[in-house]
Amino acid sequence: MIGDVSSQPRVGLVLVSHSPALAVAARELALEFVGGPAPRIAIAAGRADGATGTNATRVAAAISEASQGVGVVVLTDLGSAVLAADMALELLNGRIDARVVPAPFIEGLLAAVVRASAGDDVDTVAREASAALDPKRALLPAAAAVEAAAHQEPDAAPFAEIATVVTVRNEGGLHARPASEIAALASGFSADITLTVAGRPAAPARSVLSISMLVAGPGTMVRIAATGDDAREAIDAISALIEGGFGEAIVGIDGPAATEIEPHRAAEGGALGVSAGRVVGPVAVLVHRIDEPSATVILAPPARRAAAAIVVEAMTSAASAYRRRALKVDGHRREVLDATAALAEDPLLIDTATSAVRERGLTPERAVWEAVGRAVADYRAAGGDLADRVTDLIDVRDRVIAELTGTEPPGLPERDAPYVLVADDLAPADTVTLDPTRCLALVTEQGGPTSHTAIIARELGLPAVVGVAGATAIADGTLVLVDGDTGEVIVQPDAVAQATATGVITTAPFTGPGQTADGHRVVLSANVGAPREIARAVERGAEGAGLFRTEFCFLDRADEPSIDEQVEAYREVFAAFPGHRVVVRTLDAGSDKPLPFLTPIVEPNPVLGLRGVRTAIRDPEVLERQLRAIAEAAAVESADVAVMAPMIATLGETREFAARARSAGIASVGIMLETPAAAITAAELCTVVDFVSVGTNDLSQYTMAADRMSAALAPLADPWQPALLRMIRLVGEATAASDTPMGLCGEAAADPDFAAVLVGLGATSLSMAARAIPTVGARLADVTLEQCRAAAAAACAAPDPEAARTAARANLG
Amino acid sequence: MTLTVAATNDWLRRFARSVDDNEQLLTDLDAAIGDADHGSNLRRGMLAVVEQLATEPAITIGDTLRGAGMTLISTVGGASGVLFGTLLLRMATLTGERTTATATEVIAALRDGLEGVRTRGHAELGDKTMVDVLAPTIDALDAAVTSGASLADAASTAAIAAQAARDATTALVARKGRASYLGDRSIGHVDPGAASTALLFAALAGALAEAAAVDA
Repeated sequence: MIGDVSSQPRVGLVLVSHSPALAVAARELALEFVGGPAPRIAIAAGRADGATGTNATRVAAAISEASQGVGVVVLTDLGSAVLAADMALELLNGRIDARVVPAPFIEGLLAAVVRASAGDDVDTVAREASAALDPKRALLPAAAAVEAAAHQEPDAAPFAEIATVVTVRNEGGLHARPASEIAALASGFSADITLTVAGRPAAPARSVLSISMLVAGPGTMVRIAATGDDAREAIDAISALIEGGFGEAIVGIDGPAATEIEPHRAAEGGALGVSAGRVVGPVAVLVHRIDEPSATVILAPPARRAAAAIVVEAMTSAASAYRRRALKVDGHRREVLDATAALAEDPLLIDTATSAVRERGLTPERAVWEAVGRAVADYRAAGGDLADRVTDLIDVRDRVIAELTGTEPPGLPERDAPYVLVADDLAPADTVTLDPTRCLALVTEQGGPTSHTAIIARELGLPAVVGVAGATAIADGTLVLVDGDTGEVIVQPDAVAQATATGVITTAPFTGPGQTADGHRVVLSANVGAPREIARAVERGAEGAGLFRTEFCFLDRADEPSIDEQVEAYREVFAAFPGHRVVVRTLDAGSDKPLPFLTPIVEPNPVLGLRGVRTAIRDPEVLERQLRAIAEAAAVESADVAVMAPMIATLGETREFAARARSAGIASVGIMLETPAAAITAAELCTVVDFVSVGTNDLSQYTMAADRMSAALAPLADPWQPALLRMIRLVGEATAASDTPMGLCGEAAADPDFAAVLVGLGATSLSMAARAIPTVGARLADVTLEQCRAAAAAACAAPDPEAARTAARANLG
Repeated sequence: MTLTVAATNDWLRRFARSVDDNEQLLTDLDAAIGDADHGSNLRRGMLAVVEQLATEPAITIGDTLRGAGMTLISTVGGASGVLFGTLLLRMATLTGERTTATATEVIAALRDGLEGVRTRGHAELGDKTMVDVLAPTIDALDAAVTSGASLADAASTAAIAAQAARDATTALVARKGRASYLGDRSIGHVDPGAASTALLFAALAGALAEAAAVDA
């Protein structure tokens, strides 16, 4: 036991821990914070034999040691420490006024030591210890929301809040750079500082992200509030910074219109146009989550019973809605929806929510928010399968709250009029029901040039901009101008800007055959992933399908499609390209794209896991049956059908796949070149196949070791990275030496200049989104093979993507 | 027949032996849904109890149970020590200075012990804890005694009820202790505390049967 026995007795503290080392270190840490005489801090940690554990008799002894007659506060770490402390109080039988407090171990100890050394009474010490997590909650508001800890003690803040309102004056508003300047300045003060814009949750001034999320454009009024001993200084400094305009141009602001959102470019730095077209339309935000309901509204007791009934009704009605949606789909999606329906009417969840209404007077929406929040925390803590269900739980919460508050439920907006879809990110599931005749353009906060959003947008021929920070904060119905070439997103464009919208770019269809100005033949074909894309491919003049993704037949199914079903699906595609080449990629599934009928696997790193052709290691029959179906379908159609395997890494895999395909009766057998391993050994691989096809998306991801879904890593995912170009060059040299046709089927082929470079690197066919075929065809018809080769050599030799692009363009003229 | 000091000693010794024999089983059960220390923790505590019974023999039922309870509380180091300790301490309070306890007194003491465990652990029936064995087993003991069975016969009936109650925890979702972190995934596993509590009643039945045989 440590501590000064000074003349004035102080509240004693006891640390109950499983680990003596933890308790001793915590005590040392806490004593560093003590100004005055330290209180007595006794430790009860570990079992009697010294091992990890707790010991109630030792706790009772420690309480006696710590007591100076004015009370003892007991802090526990976890589990049996609480039981042991409780037991100890029983053993002491009321002889000492000891309080076991529901406080976090470290923070609670620090708060208690400070209070006890100041000579406060046991009630105060206990209360301060119990509230010790509040500062961390304030710093980490998102985590606090999940925890849904509404039952906080009445705020005993020693300082009153002071506040002021300033108007944002700089052209760009509080985007990322000004936000980080504010956060840096705020960190220099001890006061708790928040920024608030009407209609949005308060942003802690130390959080760059939260400030950016305010989307405070020029003219926006921002309320700065602070509590703490340097609150006044903090507010003065921050308002001066905001009014100073951050070194940007100052926008003239006059009159009351100032609170409207002024036209501004949202987040210039990260925004990236990924699919061409310039359109204007009203925003519809894809709601993934909803605002946290207020915890401070308390229902009067007479209203609570009816409010509890409303909770039950909303939850059961949400469950029925899930069941209705389940009936419209099959397979895995139906199972998930049925399971989610069960979550929505889980008796424990309903009970927790209704008791919170009845006993604490919470509003129905707040009660649901907290009840689910608690379940989410439990599920997260449990990890594994349960943690995977957190998304479903949150969906339940959001739908029930949307119903209770009459707001838009999460999911694709239901609109009859055209709209610009804005989302934080789009998952393939979000876009299954996306109607390209209603949706004008896509804008997302996340995602890079080869993200799902980009791929979907190009497939559907929609303009798209990704990486637009703060986009989802744009109010529903706000008019925006979206330019998928320049990456511009202009909120509330004026008439002049609106007039610059050219709509979805349309070009005359390509009339092949594809060739360079000097007659070097390059087959230009389309990537096809679903029957709905066939028509567009044919319309744009595609010379066949260079990548036919077969996943569409398999997704959303609980069982594997029969051979007959597969034959029918493949024939539909083959029939659209009579006499043309159709390259079928065998099923590209795995732990990243799980299918119910493939052996389930859990991998920490699915992108580097059992996917693509590797699934045939575990489920060879699925591949066998698919090859038979392709061969059968090919036999009755006139398309020139070839088959290739995804995710090849070795010669052994190539040999095995080629043998399987040939014995199934496939005439032309190839492989996808999308791993560095395959590129490096391309010469050997070419000896056993009829063709190769470079998949730039994955080859880039694996070469650069950069997740292509990551917006932060978008510069690494740039196809003009010299490393990727040289990787493709390796393949080009190997195929040229063995006279093996080299195709290319990544998103990058849709960039006309890049397409020319690919031809220079040895590509004999290019497959791309149908939309790009006319522009790529026109570009190639403009340049000679010699120019393409010179451009390729210059790009490969460049030090970085920007230089590669410039060098290539210089050579292409 | 009644519970004597000797039978109480025998009960605790039998329980200790049974925990020793089943240490691995208890630990395995705990490994599935907890932190894999129930068997070793309880074994350590009960070995200390046995040693104490030998070195400091008590002369009342109350002192015997109180000594055992305190030993468990100070040696086990986990929640099970506090909970079994609470059960025995509460029983000790009610049996007090007696050297024999009637069936009714034993049942009342057990009920008080159950109440203590319930309060200490904030556990209710259905939370997948030792309460799910204690409560129905005491009820079975009570019912058997009420219908005229001897304490020894009633304890045998109760021991069987305890096993059934133990097995029934398999279907429950844990809501207390570390197992509650697993939520639904705790379904399909016997609760380790329920398993050790069933051993406690098997030991009681054994001790009382032995005592009855000696009496006869």
